[in-house]
Amino acid sequence: MTGPADTAEAGVTSAPASGREESEPALRTSSLRKTYGGTVAVADVDLWVPRGAVVGMLGPNGSGKTTTIRMLLGLTEPSAGSVELLGYRMPDQSGRALPSVGALVEGPGFHPFMSGRRNLLRCAAMEPALYGSDVTTAVRQALERVGLVEAAERKYRSYSLGMKQRLGLAAALLVPRDLVVLDEPTNGLDPAGTREVRRIIAELHASGTTVVVSSHLLSEVEATCTHAAVLQAGSLIAQGELATLLESGGPNLLLRVSDNESGLETLRQSGIPARVERGELRVELSETDAPEVVAALVHAGIGVHEARRNRAGLEEIFARLTEGES
Amino acid sequence: MTGTASRVELPSGIRQRTSAPFGRVVSSELSWILHRPRNLLALLGLALIPVLIGTVLAITGGPSGGTGLFSAVAGNGLVLPVLALMLTQNLLLPLITAMVAADGLAGEAANGTLRGLLLAPIGRVRLVVVKALGVLLMVVLAVGVVALSGVLTGLLIVGSDGLVTLSGTTLPLGEALGRVALATAWCAVQMAAVGAVALAISATTEHSLLVLIATVGGLIVFGVLEAIPSLEWLKPIFITADWYSISDVLSDPIRWNNLVDGLWRAGCYTLVGFSAAVARMATKDT
Repeated sequence: MTGPADTAEAGVTSAPASGREESEPALRTSSLRKTYGGTVAVADVDLWVPRGAVVGMLGPNGSGKTTTIRMLLGLTEPSAGSVELLGYRMPDQSGRALPSVGALVEGPGFHPFMSGRRNLLRCAAMEPALYGSDVTTAVRQALERVGLVEAAERKYRSYSLGMKQRLGLAAALLVPRDLVVLDEPTNGLDPAGTREVRRIIAELHASGTTVVVSSHLLSEVEATCTHAAVLQAGSLIAQGELATLLESGGPNLLLRVSDNESGLETLRQSGIPARVERGELRVELSETDAPEVVAALVHAGIGVHEARRNRAGLEEIFARLTEGES
Repeated sequence: MTGTASRVELPSGIRQRTSAPFGRVVSSELSWILHRPRNLLALLGLALIPVLIGTVLAITGGPSGGTGLFSAVAGNGLVLPVLALMLTQNLLLPLITAMVAADGLAGEAANGTLRGLLLAPIGRVRLVVVKALGVLLMVVLAVGVVALSGVLTGLLIVGSDGLVTLSGTTLPLGEALGRVALATAWCAVQMAAVGAVALAISATTEHSLLVLIATVGGLIVFGVLEAIPSLEWLKPIFITADWYSISDVLSDPIRWNNLVDGLWRAGCYTLVGFSAAVARMATKDT
């Protein structure tokens, strides 16, 4: 496994580009650090989340995602560094920032002896941004939004894992938010539940809400996010727009063809740089484009079984990060 | 799930609020405490204790020839609530107080609900104030239930139309009830002190059981130390030191000395306990 330094050299870690400072970010940390005794949980993280973005915080388990999120929300005091949430310094100004922030952190937390609705009513009573007369309406709408209306009167202890997760989402969405932070929101959900979460995130995005969602699954982030931030061992090793991150390292085309040797020869004759890699042809697309490559091969009578864009950047980083786990 | 659900419209200005109205938060907390089955069962159990004592005394006629409260109850029903308070004050009332204090912070932390409260947000100091009010409510209810059940049992089972004081004089019913009310309030103050300390312990842990053990264990240790004559000089710091003086309300005139000492001591414990709870919560990782 190569270290984060390599990645930085590859240009994946994008420092705040000029012009980004113009608009106030939804979230900004500088040199955020958390140590427990001698263990560094989060090391000098400079996170930058533009307003309206859906940011996927990616990282294997134990990479510091949750600790970072807890510091963002003022649940844990940073050992060093600062957090600015919706323009307010955390945790000192949490009273100003948090009413506009919805969060689901470290799984849903509710009282087992109360029904789902009663649990939500209790959450709603604590919401500064709700008038007393709006509490019941807000609770009903939140329950509708996550599809828990039928189970609303059942005791929380009888809920399935997925229903508990949905109730957690409902609590985060009790009032319209400027920022929603979801820590592993699809944990315990079946595929249908996962799709619902994606739909809710898309809705939030469409309404202009900034969303921070953590996940250890790249596919999850790809499906929902506009931006990504990759954490490894407490360090932020990459962040930026998802498209940019995915393309970084130069676009490649991977081809599975009937005959690698003659395919390579054909491409070289056409002036297209290519090489054989793991039994496939890899073509740099910097000077040519995919249809041209395929056309050249087909004209030479070489069967093309499969051609796909290789999105090296994020995928490779992430594969490297997670290969240690199993 | 319906994606089209319209949202609650937020009036401009409400977003400026940094916390929910205090009254709403407190009433939500109290309703949470009163919806908890175990709290209701505890109150029910407490209500049965004076009935149990009264019934046993009525059947057996009580100890003969003694000088304690037990013998004073015979034919003298309004002694019963004070006796019941004195008996439950040693262990049962502190246990129930500690239980509610344990649920308040440690239990919420263990459930993951403390995070939700802090993210709402409810300020950390305000949270401790709300929790303290919740404990206080339960203390008042618990002590009140014992006293009320004691009065009713005393009047109905033991029978009484006045109160023969421990000094031998007789008080009319109205004044007798006043004495019982005084004992009840005094006991509530003692339990509030226990609750404040339990809340402080509750703020340091996620384990409710630990709060119960530390609180009740602490009271037992006090009791043991009190019994050691050479540690007499330590007595002023034991919250339990004056607890038996609750029967002083039944003297005529009332012997105030120990009762007042007890109030001061409880006040100190309340102040220290509450401050410690606030201090701990202010920096707690949740």
